[in-house]
Amino acid sequence: MSLLWHFINGLAQIVPMATSKKVITREEWEKKLNDVRIRKEDMNKLVMNFLVTEGYVEAAEKFRKESGTDPDIDLATITDRMAVKKAVQAGNVEDAIEKVNDLNPEILDTNPQLFFHLQQQRLIELIRNGKVEEALEFAQEELAPRGEENQSFLEELEKTVALLAFEDVSNCPIGELLDVSQRLKTASEVNAAILTSQSHEKDPKLPSLLKMLLWAQNQLGEKAVYPRINDLSTATLEDPAV
Amino acid sequence: MEEASLSLSLSTTTNTNTNDLIANYYLQQWRLKSKSAAAKFESMGFPEPQFLTQIDEDEEDDKEELPSELDTLNSSGGFSIVGPDKLSVRYPSVNHHGHDVGVVQANRPAPSKRLVYYFEMYVENAGAKGQVAIGFTTPGFRLRRQPGWELNSYGYHGDDGLLYRGQAKGETFGPVYSTGDTVGGGINYASQELFFTKNGAVVGAVFKDVKGPLFPTVAVHSQHEVVNVNFGKKPFVFDLKAYEAQERAKQNSTIEKLSIPQNASYGIVRSYLQHYGYEDTLKTFDVESRSTLPPISFVQENGFTEDMNTYSLNQRKVLRQLIRSGQIGDAIGKLKDWFPQIVQDGASAICFLLHCQNFIELVRDCAALLAYELPQKSSVGYLLGDSQREIIADAVNAMVLSTNPSVKDSRECLHSRLDRLLRQLSACFLEKRSLNGDQGEGFHLHRILNSGRKG
Repeated sequence: MSLLWHFINGLAQIVPMATSKKVITREEWEKKLNDVRIRKEDMNKLVMNFLVTEGYVEAAEKFRKESGTDPDIDLATITDRMAVKKAVQAGNVEDAIEKVNDLNPEILDTNPQLFFHLQQQRLIELIRNGKVEEALEFAQEELAPRGEENQSFLEELEKTVALLAFEDVSNCPIGELLDVSQRLKTASEVNAAILTSQSHEKDPKLPSLLKMLLWAQNQLGEKAVYPRINDLSTATLEDPAV
Repeated sequence: MEEASLSLSLSTTTNTNTNDLIANYYLQQWRLKSKSAAAKFESMGFPEPQFLTQIDEDEEDDKEELPSELDTLNSSGGFSIVGPDKLSVRYPSVNHHGHDVGVVQANRPAPSKRLVYYFEMYVENAGAKGQVAIGFTTPGFRLRRQPGWELNSYGYHGDDGLLYRGQAKGETFGPVYSTGDTVGGGINYASQELFFTKNGAVVGAVFKDVKGPLFPTVAVHSQHEVVNVNFGKKPFVFDLKAYEAQERAKQNSTIEKLSIPQNASYGIVRSYLQHYGYEDTLKTFDVESRSTLPPISFVQENGFTEDMNTYSLNQRKVLRQLIRSGQIGDAIGKLKDWFPQIVQDGASAICFLLHCQNFIELVRDCAALLAYELPQKSSVGYLLGDSQREIIADAVNAMVLSTNPSVKDSRECLHSRLDRLLRQLSACFLEKRSLNGDQGEGFHLHRILNSGRKG
């Protein structure tokens, strides 16, 4: 065997061989894309699912008319659900609770954590409006018994009541409870519970599909070099860096 | 698919040819639909109209043939007797050594274009020594040796509960099994594992290092042994659906952890409504989203693409409405007024599409007048459906979009962003599967859309 052959062989053992990935050209890839059949009806359903789950009732109604797509849920229930969500977001928790019970009394019955959070929000609103006496009474009568049943409830209750101890609530460490984001959190929880009670998934499918795209591209990227979509907002193919 | 590549490789030198590209694309869609509709129709034997919408929903994956019964062509030379229903095996004599096993494979190998394949074996009689086995073997396996005793085979044996994979010495695996027990063997293509069950519970799994087709296999080896096989005609003892759901959930939880830009979905939905001309929905959507909490901080696309999508939004809406309600003549009239260049050439593909649809509408009217039910039930009944009009509406929509002077490549008008994203997703799944020896699931939008219905 020649010296050269030994030399190259030796080198090959030291230098790690690049994993040979299949290279797919832009043209080849576009042909594969063209062979995929995506039904318009399915895309319509995906959009409708988004509108319905996110609560865009009127848009969903218009989309039903313009595209002929059937919403997979009764649009009237969306209006009710959105009314509950808006009530919580506006701080009208009592109103929200009433509406939830009108919609389906079992929701709060079977969701002690949700109910506690709603009551907690009520307490926060009372404190926010400076109704100290009412707040304390409410905490004692409605929330304390629940706190006794459950350790984490008790902790959250204590945290909330502690708000009363601070003069300047906007600067205290637990001031975040008074932030509108707390309302949004509670509103979101109610929204999810209502959707679940209606045997509907609480999240729209579209974001999951986008994530699936990222995942699938990464998976394929381990074995092949091919044009990818890197920017979801433009959905344009980018040639692989050669 | 030859037609597809033909029409799409049209040169784009002249404007007319560019326009033809769009119309030809939709013509192709129509042809593909009618091809699969006719084929399905015949195989379904004149189904009721409501089934016609399901015609192109069956995924290409299902073209794989499944094992349905035991194979009787290759035999172990008299050491096994397959029953007349081809779903049972018995050992006819007395065994003497290790080369007189009665091994039978299924008539076809396990399909691979799916998440999991599974089959079961019921031990009707464990006979003298209970030397029954269930497993998988490659084509050409020596049918006188227990599955697992030879290379490229796997076997879970009833007499010792061991797993054999390629050699005469087995590994501790699961419990023994005997008369009255139901055992199952499965291939999990996602985890690349073979797993076995006993009476509905998984007993163990091993890595599948054999590439290529694997035949579901059963074996008997002592006097009076009888086993029955179930390839899916009857319900399984094992909850296969739950196992599959569990496997999918594992995958989904990995996927859910990925992050996407906030409001990415919002932007895609908005762009979709613009692209296809759903003007009313878009306007209402914009109003409703202004009042959501948290407020949507959406970065508007750059002026160019925004302009292209809102271009002629109102006119496209009107055209779609007309076509969807079957008023093709009116739609053509509007096109003559607004975009005469599209319908100028009467021999163009788009005119052909429009006139065909017009004709279909006339047939529909006549049939209604005569109270003639049959058209819906015929093999071309799908033509009278809404999805047919949808194709025409989308074609016209794309044509109008392409008249926008700032459009460089009319192919941009063919697909909305959502469409492109879904295609990329599907293509990645298919290519990955192909590179993986054709194993695993493809991307099935329809299945995903219908999943999660707990009601």
